[in-house]
Amino acid sequence: MAEVEDTGANPVNEPLDLVRLSLNELVFVKLRGDRELQGRLHAYDSHCNLVLGEVTETIYMVDDEDESENVRTVKKQSEMLFLRGDSVVLISPQQ
Amino acid sequence: MEHLSINDAGLPGAPPPGQGPPQQMMQPGPPPPSPVPQLPPQMFTTAAQLLDLTDKKLMVALRDGRKLIGVLRSWDQFGNLVLQDTIERLFVQSLYADIERGLFLVRGENVSLLGEIDLDKDDYIPPPFEQAPVEKVFALKKAEDAERKKTDKRRHTKLAEHGFEGEHSGEAIL
Amino acid sequence: MLFFSFFKTLVNHEVTVELKNDISIRGTLKSVDQYLNIKLDDITVVEELKYPHLSSVKNVFIRGSVVRYVHLPAAAVDTPLLEDATRRGITDSIEIEVRLSQFADASG
Repeated sequence: MAEVEDTGANPVNEPLDLVRLSLNELVFVKLRGDRELQGRLHAYDSHCNLVLGEVTETIYMVDDEDESENVRTVKKQSEMLFLRGDSVVLISPQQ
Repeated sequence: MEHLSINDAGLPGAPPPGQGPPQQMMQPGPPPPSPVPQLPPQMFTTAAQLLDLTDKKLMVALRDGRKLIGVLRSWDQFGNLVLQDTIERLFVQSLYADIERGLFLVRGENVSLLGEIDLDKDDYIPPPFEQAPVEKVFALKKAEDAERKKTDKRRHTKLAEHGFEGEHSGEAIL
Repeated sequence: MLFFSFFKTLVNHEVTVELKNDISIRGTLKSVDQYLNIKLDDITVVEELKYPHLSSVKNVFIRGSVVRYVHLPAAAVDTPLLEDATRRGITDSIEIEVRLSQFADASG
């Protein structure tokens, strides 16, 4: 995670500078379409396109048959993932 | 300047690849000579991609879920398409039906994907799908869409309570 | 331009493109353009019966804007180089292309 000396060398002047500090670190990404990702950030650009490694995707679903309509989650793994930026809601450093 | 020298190293006739472990490539200093002939940049344009598909029979999936089948006669850099002898194919449950539509200009932003139809498998529709009258399939489709809209709305409302936002504001599209 | 260059280096690799309408299409990456429109060859569709309109299709052009994910072969991705390129901000796409494609090709 971002150490004090890191921010000294790479000041956070604009929002994506925060993401730069997360390169090769674990990040949490919330997406449109009821999804979240956790993985290691390897690349990003100004559109929030990302490349993540060792990714866990969590999909939130509602059981239609079930009258209680509980929210359940499905998890999927991916070794390397390109994510298109227009789905991104937020990016957060982990730990 | 740096880019020139790297580019030069990538040209044919460059010294044989002196491959090191990947980490070595990260060391400062000039990268090793490229063993890779660079693909011509004109291959990587929208025009080049659509040129290959011109005058081919295509399946065009639109963002609203419609499927059109027609011959691509013209296109531009925005992905606007002209389709000739177009049919629209409806699928519902295990039935399908074709509707003759004719000549179409499709605005690019509405296109989801274009598929070139393999002429060896032309019009192959996997079992259990069977052709049925348009009226029947259309009515079933309408009912199915209405039902899906309802369940999607329920799902959307439920997930909104948990702070989620749907991808296409409650409209499910196949 | 970083990701345009990046995808060019993955040409002829097997990838799986997941669309925003949940269709997953696996195939050989044949081409990409500046909008990240993607062409795949020899496609197979996960859950083919759900998407019968794709059963006689051999190659697809996918509009970049409908893509959610592209699943990549990890072995073809030089992650330190990607991080380095991201940090520096890409001004010269030729450099990244040459160096990334060396890695991707070495991995098969």
